[in-house]
Amino acid sequence: MFINLSKNLEGEKVIMLLRRHWFIILKKIIFWAIVAVLPLIFYSVAGNVFEELFSYRLSYPILVLFASTYYLYVWLFLFYSFIDYYLDVWIVTNERIINIEQRGLFSREVSEQKLYRIQDVTSELKGFFSTVLDYGTVHIQTAGEEPRFIFKEVPHPQTVAKKIIKIVEENKKFHKIMESEDKISAK
Amino acid sequence: MTIPLAIFYYIYLIFVLGFLVFTVFNVYHLVRFGYLTFTNITIIVFYIVVSILILSISWRYTSAIDWQQSFELIPTFPF
Repeated sequence: MFINLSKNLEGEKVIMLLRRHWFIILKKIIFWAIVAVLPLIFYSVAGNVFEELFSYRLSYPILVLFASTYYLYVWLFLFYSFIDYYLDVWIVTNERIINIEQRGLFSREVSEQKLYRIQDVTSELKGFFSTVLDYGTVHIQTAGEEPRFIFKEVPHPQTVAKKIIKIVEENKKFHKIMESEDKISAK
Repeated sequence: MTIPLAIFYYIYLIFVLGFLVFTVFNVYHLVRFGYLTFTNITIIVFYIVVSILILSISWRYTSAIDWQQSFELIPTFPF
């Protein structure tokens, strides 16, 4: 897979690429499918009333235009929901964590944090579907005043948290070795 | 007072234009920020195909309507 990291560090390898759980996009698809079916139900129930209120000469063109506009925009909003889901990505490499969030069509936030700055990683499962389907939130607390990173509704949050802790420990060990080697060579 | 039916058609065309503008933005976002995967390309193609399908079905129905006709906004009742 081609991964377009903002700036690749030397020897950097992508370890995890996370998106929200598939159930999140499925919920949105089901919602828009219901929205798509609603006019058909409405027409089958109250179609006669509509035709009686307006003449056929007027009601038919309006119905055609309304149906066309309605389905075009349902399709557009469904696609937008998918983009919102697809472009929210969390990438864990052997050097850093990158948080990419698409907020609407004209706002995109990319933030990153070095692994050795991470202090605490916690996972959280909340709710029925979250527990059954094993998806939840991973909170990553970093040193300093920066707000913590949040991996939202990712699959297998406990496994992800454990994996990040392991990578962070390895990264910290590596940085300690590098620092001590630098001190020796400086002497 | 009579109003030409074409007014509804022009309003509809404005909505279609809005749809096309947002479609361009959406596809641009996927191409610009999405990863170059088979899934990404398939989804864009699928979206465009379905959009063309909706528009062409709409065209089939709208082209059969006589938009030159007009209707009474306030119907007049014989006394």
